[in-house]
This record gives sequence, structure tokens and C-alpha cells, in this order.
Amino acid sequence: MQTVLVADNVSKCFRIHKNLPRTLRDAIIQRLNGRHEPIRDLWALRDISFSVKQGTVLGLIGHNGAGKSTLLRLLCGLGKPTQGHFYRQGNIGSLLELGSGFHPDMTGRENLMTGGILCGLTKRQVKAVGDDIIHFAELEEFIDQPVRTYSSGMYLRLAFSTAIHFDPDYLIIDEVLAVGDSRFQQKCLDRLKAFRAAGKSLIIASHDLEQVRGLCNEVIVLEEGRVVMQGEPESAISCYHDLMRQRSDRRARQLYDNELPNLNVSKGTRLGTQEASFTNVYIYNAQNKITDTVFSGDSITVELEYSVAKQIPDMSLILGIYTETNTKCFETTVPSIVSAFGKFDTKGILRCSLPVLPLLPGHYYLNAGIYPADWSFVYDYHWQMYTLHILNKTDLDKNISGIVSIEPVWAESPPVKLE
Amino acid sequence: MKSLEYNVDLVLHLVKRSFYLRYKGSAIGILWYLLLPLSQLLVLVFLFGKIVPLKIDAYPAFVFSALLPWVWFSSCLNSASSLFISNRDLIRKPNFVPFILIIVDTLSNLLAYIIFLPILFIMLAFYGHYVSLSLLYFPLLIMIQSILLIGLGMIISTMNVFYRDIQQIVHVAVMLLFYLTPIFYRSEAISSNYTLLFYLNPVAVLIQGYRSIIFYGSPPEWGSLLLSGAISVILCTIGFLIYKRRLPDIFDAL
Repeated sequence: MQTVLVADNVSKCFRIHKNLPRTLRDAIIQRLNGRHEPIRDLWALRDISFSVKQGTVLGLIGHNGAGKSTLLRLLCGLGKPTQGHFYRQGNIGSLLELGSGFHPDMTGRENLMTGGILCGLTKRQVKAVGDDIIHFAELEEFIDQPVRTYSSGMYLRLAFSTAIHFDPDYLIIDEVLAVGDSRFQQKCLDRLKAFRAAGKSLIIASHDLEQVRGLCNEVIVLEEGRVVMQGEPESAISCYHDLMRQRSDRRARQLYDNELPNLNVSKGTRLGTQEASFTNVYIYNAQNKITDTVFSGDSITVELEYSVAKQIPDMSLILGIYTETNTKCFETTVPSIVSAFGKFDTKGILRCSLPVLPLLPGHYYLNAGIYPADWSFVYDYHWQMYTLHILNKTDLDKNISGIVSIEPVWAESPPVKLE
Repeated sequence: MKSLEYNVDLVLHLVKRSFYLRYKGSAIGILWYLLLPLSQLLVLVFLFGKIVPLKIDAYPAFVFSALLPWVWFSSCLNSASSLFISNRDLIRKPNFVPFILIIVDTLSNLLAYIIFLPILFIMLAFYGHYVSLSLLYFPLLIMIQSILLIGLGMIISTMNVFYRDIQQIVHVAVMLLFYLTPIFYRSEAISSNYTLLFYLNPVAVLIQGYRSIIFYGSPPEWGSLLLSGAISVILCTIGFLIYKRRLPDIFDAL
């Protein structure tokens, strides 16, 4: 297989100016005063080396600010690495930040033409695939409207459809697949798989670890601009989780004078910096009694009592139900407490009601976590600390297995007559 | 190397796009493009034909033959400053060369000049000035002015990404230059103390050149034309060096 892209020791440094002169006047005044403005070098990327072969899907994971977007932008030829080189072959297609790439005042069709021509196609070639693009994006009705009137979903559909139809040799996608309805997302993923199967390469940065697991055959974990590991998805994802734990530990050590807070629990594992924490987690049954045992199909309410140790602007919550073998059955997140419930106090209670719990009888765990709003480390995570026993409600069919409780109805169908 | 068809398509499409964006949403649309030089002509003819008469024969044609290249020049400079900032969507595409924007801008403003030429010739015929063979110099002048505009365009558009007040400076400079350039007056009217100012101003020399080949029907003055050609090439080189040096920073700054 041919190598289509090589990054050779790439580093990128941004000069952070304390007060960068925005006007010529300021620049001259600063020069005349003999004041040299303080400059700090920020190394967004350090010694990144990798190569991408034909037909591979390379995933980039790492928390916010790890350098994913910077790397992707450099790969697209936007800006030059401070050190090192990229060696590229063939046409690049890109789906970088949503919002760039289209002119808001031009119609979808005009933007499509611009995009196609800038991808290296002639007008005739763009016209030839134009209808396919519009059809794939499901924008037949809106294609002659200015792009500024589009919803973010429509925008993404057009952007994705444009990028994939111009037949690039490799496609660079930054995080954008998170937008759009799940049906279209699936359509995109199918298309990307076909793209991969056709021997093209893909480079994706994503926060969605499930997506990375399903699509990539190789993953790079970035942390503070460096490659922490490069390998197959499973080990990269566990490395990513390890990094998050390490970051939380490091932060906790800083907070508590080099001593990790005592988080011994009788059952399960607890980790995090404890700047915000769950003080109590209770499961209530339908009769509003605290319990750990409910019948399959019953409703439960989970009560999360939290306390916040210091001023925190915002935080995110996660609550999930896992099997004993740590398979996720269900998980819900609150990405921002502030936008969901407004300002929060140092102490508070949140309740999460689950109207039906269609799980098969067995033992499950309730896992809950508090994170900072950017998910970069953990405030408090309770892993396997709360068991949830699901009992058989009625004489449920004994011949079913799995996680979800569905009652099958079997019947015999008359044989199909051949004409 | 991309095919010729591709490059033609690219430039034509971008010219069309820049036209469209400039006049979208305005009631009379592209007519504004024609209205600007005509209104300027009207003001000048009224002012220096009627109120403060300069006593120049065929004054409207005299002014118009110089005004058209001036409008080309000034609209290029005025739009150059926001060229990179307002076309962020294009610059964000992989492999897009921002330099193309400068060429596109120069060409799309040249187009207005070309569109107006027939009107100018009718006006000249009306005053009994007919097109002569000296019009063959026209492409040469266009070429020198294009080099000059591309050079200045590279300097202005690059610097304006970093210092946003370049835009204001350019506006003021263009306004001053309008009066320093023999557009509504004869170049002979410049007192001999200031002739150096005229020769060092490539726009003035070029505009005088257009006027002599179109209005007077005589070849341009070679000495000054060569000088302004040289100045244009030097400016273009400087522009290219600045552009090339700051290009990576442009991507970071935008």
C-alpha cells in the first residue's frame, strides 16, 4: 500500500503576544517607547511524526487544546509548521470548523460551485456531480437559498456532501459529524466506510470515542501537542482514559499539597480531584423508597447529592447504567449544569427519573461522574459503587437473553405460495 | 500543473463571485458598477466645465479618458485592504493560494474599464476625436498598471491582516492621489517645481499615457513610461516578498 501522507517531526509554535498592536499607530507607539511587548511561545504541536497509508482511517483523540485542530489545519496547508515537514500526495478534501468554507450570502448552489472549483475540478466536472451532491445532502428545496438561512444541520449536510463528492484522495474531518440528526450521521458514516473501502484515506479528529472505535483502524492520542501513543483504537482509547485519570491525579496533587484525597470506598472505585463531588447517590423506586432492587420495566429515580468545594463556573454530569462486565446499557449526560438548571449552589440535589427500565433481570452498576465543562479531567467519578439488581417482574419468557427486556411474540406464518 | 481550462474556470468563477458579492441585495445591482464613474464624471464636468472653467476642449471626453483608469486603480486599492479578511471562507480551503484573490480583484475592476470603453469612444467621436493607431499601446499600459496594482495589492492586503488601520491610510492616500494626478486638469498645468512629483507617481504617468493615446491620439511619452514601469516592477517585487514572508502568519491570524 502506498503512503499518501507523512508528517516528519512537525512542530508548531504560536507566539502569544500580551498586547499585540492591532493598528499601525499602536505598533509605532510601542516601537517609539522602546517597549518590547512580552511574547510567550506556545508550542501547540511538538515533534509529531506519523504516516498515513492508502485506505487507512486515522483518528486523532485528545482533550480540548491537545492540538488536534492545529494539526488538522496544518495538514490542510493552512499555515506552515514552525519545524518539520509534511509530505503529501494527491488532492485533499477538508471539513474543518463548521462555518468556514461557505460564504453566508451566496446560495448553496453557488457555494457548491466555489467549493468544487477550489477542490481542483473544472466547472464542467462540478456541474456533473452537482445533482448528486444536492441529492445526498437532501437539500433539493433549499439549494437556491443563501447559506446564511440554513440550519446547522443543513449546513453540515451540504459541507459533508460537497467534501465527499469531489473525490479527494484523502479527507480531513474535524469534529463536525457531531452535528446533524442521527439518520444523516449514519448516512455519512456509511459513506465514509465506502470511501475507505475505495482505498482512500481519512483523518478524523473526534471526541466521540464510539465513532473512533467504529471507523478508525489507527488512532493517535495527543496530549499537550505531543503524540502519547499511536496504535489500534482499543488501546488508544484506554490510553486516553488513562490520561484523563492522570490529569485528574496531577491536578488533585496540586490542589492538596501533593497528597491525593482519601477516596477509599467499600465497593467499586472512586477517582477525581474532588473539587466537586457526589456526597450521596440514592436510587428510589416507584414508591419513592430508597432501594437497590427493582423489577424489570419499573421506573426509578436517581438522586445525586453534590457539593462544590470551590468556585467552579460550570460543570457536566454523567449518569450511566453498566452491566457487570462493564458494557454500557444506557448513559445520559448534562453537558452544562448552568445552561440546564441555572447557577448552582455549593450544595444541591439533582434528580434523574427513568420512567421505564427495560433491562433483563441481573446485576447492574450505576456509575456517575462530575466533570468540568470541557471534560478535560474528572472532578469525581463513582465507578461500580452502586449496584442495581433487576428482578423478574412476571413470569418472563425464560428463553431470552441479552440486556434489553423485550417480549418476543413468535408465530408461524403460512408458507409463501409461488405463482 | 493544472489545465488551462481549470485556471480559466477558477479565475472566471471568482470574478463572477466577487461581482455578485459586491452588489447582492442592492436594488439596481450591478448598475452601481456603472454609476460610480458616471457620477464622478458628472461632478467634474459640472465643476470644472461650468463653475470654475478650465477651458479645455472636449472636456467631458478629456476627463473621462483619464477617469476610467483612475477608477480601476482606486477601486482596486480600496478593496485590497479587506481582500483577505472578507474572503476567509476561500482562504480556509486547503491548497487555496490567497494571491489569486489579488489577481481576481485586479481583473474584475479592469472589466469595468473595458465595459466603459465603447462609451468613451462614442463620446470622443462626438467631439471629433477619432481612434488612431496609437491605441495599439493600450495593452502595454494595461499591463504596466496591472503589475502596479498587483504589487500594491499584495502589500496592502497582507499588511491589513496585521494592522487594520492600513485600510484608513489607503483611503486617505487614494483621495490625496486623486488630486495629485492629472485627471481633471492637464499635466502641463503642473508647475515645473513639481514635475518630479509627477514623474515619480506611476499612476499619473500611466493616466497621462492613456489620455495621450486615446484622447490626443499620440504615442505615450516613453521616458516617463519606462520609469513608471520600473517603479511598478519594483513595487511588485517588494509586494511579493512581503506577501511571501507573511503568508504563513496570515493563516494563523485569520
